[in-house]
Amino acid sequence: MARKPAAKPSPPKQPAPKPAPPKSAVADEKRTFEPKYNWMNKTRQWGVRVKPGKAGLKLGDLNVGIYGETPTQWADQSRNPRGAVPRRGMPPVGYSIRDKAGLWADCAADLYEEAIQRRWAPATDVPWDTIEPLPDDVEHAVCQVCTELLGYANVDIETITGWQHQMSYGYHEVKQFLATASFDAARHYECFRKRALANGGGLGLEGPGMVNRMILESRGGWTEAVVYLLLMRGAFTMTLYKYLGRHAHNDAERFIYEHALADKARHVTYALDHLKYAMAHADDVLQVVRTLIAIGEGGLTRDLRDPVLAEALAVIFAGGVAKAAGRGMAVYGDMMRDYVATYLGYCRWLGVPRDPARLPPPLNEYADSTDTGA
Amino acid sequence: MSEAANGAERELDLGWMDRTGPLETRAEPGKYGLTIADISIGDYGEAPEASDNLTGRPRGAAARPASYRIGAYPVRSKNDIWLDNASFLYEEALQRQWSSATDVPWHTIEPLPDDVEQAECQLATFLTEVEFVAGDVPARWVSLTTPDFYEPRQVLLAQVMDESRHMDVFRKRALANGGGLMQATGATSGFVGSIDLSRDFTEMSSRLHVSGEGSVLTLFRMGELMAQNEAEKVIYRLCAQDEARHVAFGVMHLRYMSETAPERREEIHCYLDEAEGGLIGAANPVGQLTPTSESMAIILGGGKDHFDDGMNKIIAIRRRQLQEYRKRVISAGFGERFENGRSRVAQMIEEAA
Repeated sequence: MARKPAAKPSPPKQPAPKPAPPKSAVADEKRTFEPKYNWMNKTRQWGVRVKPGKAGLKLGDLNVGIYGETPTQWADQSRNPRGAVPRRGMPPVGYSIRDKAGLWADCAADLYEEAIQRRWAPATDVPWDTIEPLPDDVEHAVCQVCTELLGYANVDIETITGWQHQMSYGYHEVKQFLATASFDAARHYECFRKRALANGGGLGLEGPGMVNRMILESRGGWTEAVVYLLLMRGAFTMTLYKYLGRHAHNDAERFIYEHALADKARHVTYALDHLKYAMAHADDVLQVVRTLIAIGEGGLTRDLRDPVLAEALAVIFAGGVAKAAGRGMAVYGDMMRDYVATYLGYCRWLGVPRDPARLPPPLNEYADSTDTGA
Repeated sequence: MSEAANGAERELDLGWMDRTGPLETRAEPGKYGLTIADISIGDYGEAPEASDNLTGRPRGAAARPASYRIGAYPVRSKNDIWLDNASFLYEEALQRQWSSATDVPWHTIEPLPDDVEQAECQLATFLTEVEFVAGDVPARWVSLTTPDFYEPRQVLLAQVMDESRHMDVFRKRALANGGGLMQATGATSGFVGSIDLSRDFTEMSSRLHVSGEGSVLTLFRMGELMAQNEAEKVIYRLCAQDEARHVAFGVMHLRYMSETAPERREEIHCYLDEAEGGLIGAANPVGQLTPTSESMAIILGGGKDHFDDGMNKIIAIRRRQLQEYRKRVISAGFGERFENGRSRVAQMIEEAA
């Protein structure tokens, strides 16, 4: 350890000393310091040696010993990394989500790594050169749908980023997964805007916004936001991507919808896992989710009664206005049946089955009449 | 049952076809693909000076009078958040994403002497902690910003992703070589003047991007000096790339603010005064003697026995941090503070020597 130099003897009395030279003049001198080392050996668990597996060193691999302990409540309001020795007396940062049941999903760490491995860049990965001019009515419809999807991505961004900073770091896997989810949404925002402006069209009419409002007004907690944003809207958006991919006009659109669908599937996977966890580990959440779903269906149906999205989709599905009312709307009906079946399946899996007959119109009209909901 | 549901034809309204933004837009990909800059054409490229968009409408889309007002965005003035190169920074961020699981050669990590491993783990604990702030705070500001300024929002979203990766890579490093996490420093708690508590975006950006991340960037650029193995070199190099974009955001935003809102210059100087006060404090891993700077000295010196050598290197890094900070502030258009005696940075550089 370095030691302080011995104290020099006092100089004899002399006239007033000259000012000391600037410290830069002594820069080359050997300097000594007195460390405290009071941080050394302060660890809750030492000797951890996590090895990379065949998919590299993943976030979930680190959950060994105390580092993998995720308590049901996280009292620490600092940015103390989970497993580190806390420093006492720090002013709290002020997280509102400190219960594991309020955000947890066992799959979050895996989804985080998957999102990173499946990253894509719209600027260079989408084969933009495959886009060819389309008939005006079809291009209009594509642009209108892109405008709606931009609105959806915007709500994804604003909702997730509005909650991220409220989540405590005891559950960093979820925060990290949500960083990928908001980045996915940024990419969706970007690529639908690019598609709308790449082929002689432009943006269309903004969406009606009832569901957007419902999602952004989820003040009851992140779980409520998950029900609206990722379960109800998420399942709907996934279905849209699926059908738009089937009716893509070129490789560029096909690429966009396929990749956006894969991204969205991760978000919905998180939602299902989280809701299942929350309902199993917190009192009353099952009943709350059941209530939220009923309220959410009301909001969703108000947006669905607006004709703009349905008509634009019908034009795309039919290849033009001429057959949109017949063939196009028939495919739209198929899409809605697909959505309702998926949604009811999710509800059943979560343990909050819905009676199809009691869904509000027009949702009930797309439900399988043989589905009992049980 | 509705006509759509039962398969019957229904009359279409199609009124939406006449309610659009400007049409006949045909953005062409350039040599870097189809970038955000490429679609900033015509009216679609015009961000308003003040946004009245309260419905979350995509910029350039036709408004629907009946839409709900869902976004009472506090950041609605362009000069509050704008910068001229946001498109470039965002596209670069997308191109330079990396994976801490597979892009870091973890197998190159070899056992280290206990004092050095403890120091590495203390530094990793600190970096995990500070990267938490850099992820949380930009995310919050994204949710407060109108989508009319979507370009800077996109860069901030990329930053949140970057910081998330930094958090995980330093946690991985701490747990990969026979060590563990050590003691948190608390340097990022909610003190007055902290990044968290900023009430204004530019205030936050000057603290986070210009001074905070600027200091960390200097450090990461010293990765060759600090690294004990190839894995750590790669970590520092990749983190430095990311951090450079974040710092560039702050500098370019300050420059835009300086040019377009000169009435706020004095206020910005106050933020810089505060930022400079913390430049060599506990939030800086090469600040004055703190647990983190002690651990840095062990790493840079090569062990406790060479602590003084390490500290001398720390002082050199600190000097460089201050010099780079000064350059950034000059580049942002606030260089007069180094001429008129307001800034103490010159004195700090002198003292660091």
